[in-house]
Amino acid sequence: MITRATKVLVQGITGRTGRMHSRMMRAYGTRIVAGTSPRPEPVDGIPVFKDCAAAVAATGATASVAFVGADALLGAIREAVEAGITLLVTPTEGMPVHDALAALALVRAAGVRWIGASTPGMAVPGEAKLGFLPEVALAPGPIGVMSKSGTLSYEVGYRLVQRGLGQSTWIGVGGDPVKGTRYAELVPYFAADARTRALVVIGEIGGSEEEELAGALSAQRFAKPVFALIAGRSAREGVTMGHAGAMVHGTAGSWDSKRAALEGAGARVFGAVAGLVEAVAAAL
Amino acid sequence: MTVRGQAVQAVRVEQHVGPVQEAYAALLLDAAADGVRVLMAGQGGVDIENQAGLRAETARLDDVPDAVRRVGAGLPPALTAAGLRMAAMFRACEAMLLEINPLFIRPDGSWLAGDMKLITDDNALYRQPALRALLAANAAHYPEVQLKLEHGFDYVVVDPEGDIGLVTTGAGLSMMLIDELRARGLRPYNFLDVRTGGMRGDPTRLIRVLEWIAAGPRIRIVLVNIFAGITHLGEFAKLLLQARAAVPQLAVPFVVRLVGTAFEEAEAVLGAAGIAVTTDLERAVALL
Repeated sequence: MITRATKVLVQGITGRTGRMHSRMMRAYGTRIVAGTSPRPEPVDGIPVFKDCAAAVAATGATASVAFVGADALLGAIREAVEAGITLLVTPTEGMPVHDALAALALVRAAGVRWIGASTPGMAVPGEAKLGFLPEVALAPGPIGVMSKSGTLSYEVGYRLVQRGLGQSTWIGVGGDPVKGTRYAELVPYFAADARTRALVVIGEIGGSEEEELAGALSAQRFAKPVFALIAGRSAREGVTMGHAGAMVHGTAGSWDSKRAALEGAGARVFGAVAGLVEAVAAAL
Repeated sequence: MTVRGQAVQAVRVEQHVGPVQEAYAALLLDAAADGVRVLMAGQGGVDIENQAGLRAETARLDDVPDAVRRVGAGLPPALTAAGLRMAAMFRACEAMLLEINPLFIRPDGSWLAGDMKLITDDNALYRQPALRALLAANAAHYPEVQLKLEHGFDYVVVDPEGDIGLVTTGAGLSMMLIDELRARGLRPYNFLDVRTGGMRGDPTRLIRVLEWIAAGPRIRIVLVNIFAGITHLGEFAKLLLQARAAVPQLAVPFVVRLVGTAFEEAEAVLGAAGIAVTTDLERAVALL
């Protein structure tokens, strides 16, 4: 999906978050070629443009990471799509759902891969990272990671790296109900990716993404081992816990529903980090 | 008197609606299909989802009115009329669910909502002043939403009798921690996604949290678990000590697990206050 050659644009690069994470992504090896800001002055030697169209025209950037507020995110996505960006990562939390629906219509029409919102980002360890996945949890290796939860994926990645197991590609799909990329859409990518020998799925109660993933794994006869960790087994019905997507109504989206679906697709499902880490370490 | 755990605050007495047909109409965000599901039935009651005769179609947000007309074709015209009003409201309120059940249809073809359910998008409330006012006026019913609007982070008491206070960041990891503690027979008191990135060097947020935890009648220990990637742990440790000093009523031991930048600085700061720190979550949990 990305390599160290991928030319990356940072939208909102002059803000506090954009500036800090541009520095950290660059230190990791990400090739940041441009930024955008209403105040277009260079940041750490990176040229900054007034908008995406100007940045893409001048630098040939194909990927963008947008560090903008939730109220500005739909506009930032539109701007990136119109400028010809093909991979878009949006860490912003709190995007209104109706804005996300509008953004999805835009990216689908243009054939853009959108990861987010509410994502810690994605990485191909050893190549590049887009967003703020912490280095302590990243290492090149055989595990494909897809996660709805930032911090829980950090915990799992960190413990697996301590066991000598790194990642082929790590994609944080984010915790929002309507999002650019859902688990199920990533199945063909991980099936085809020769470096991926196993898949680790970090999920949580609420929504139907784990169930959709189970359907895609079965339909596409995904042949690599799948290990899933699902948080929220002991949560009360009807209470949102942080992630807008993590709410259970009746049996839909419950822990048991997700376990049944994923196990039916051949995955192993865990309710504790240590159990998953041991099983992955034993299998690889 | 309570209904499904909610205290009954008032009872509204309405004029008898007379002989009516009970129908059903709902608009529901369908995240898996990038759209809105339109549901209608000419007959039906409370358990409509389990009944035959329910008609449905999923449409893009812009196409919901057309979908309402298609789904409503062949059903009493009052359903299409209600559905179009609902489509406008769904959009205007940025709803995630809007449901009228039962929807009364009178013999003259006019309709009336017997009951209505609206699920709001908390992320859109900043530009929905009427909904925000409605929530504020009924704050006791929506404590989590009120807290998020007021303080900018998530906190839920998950077990009023719990004895372990949690100071955690990240929704998924906090949920997982609660699951794991319970699986070991322990009783966590609260869920918290404090968002260390939003603290900006100010202990206020941590002080609030420690005050709320201190209100738990059985709290005997506090577990701090911060793995936030970029949080400067030295800074966090200082804020934690300031907050702890500001909430002396919480006179219980702290177990602290941290992973991130400047761990050694945090270890020194907390060590000087007599608090041991580990990077290993399993070890921290074993100390509870």
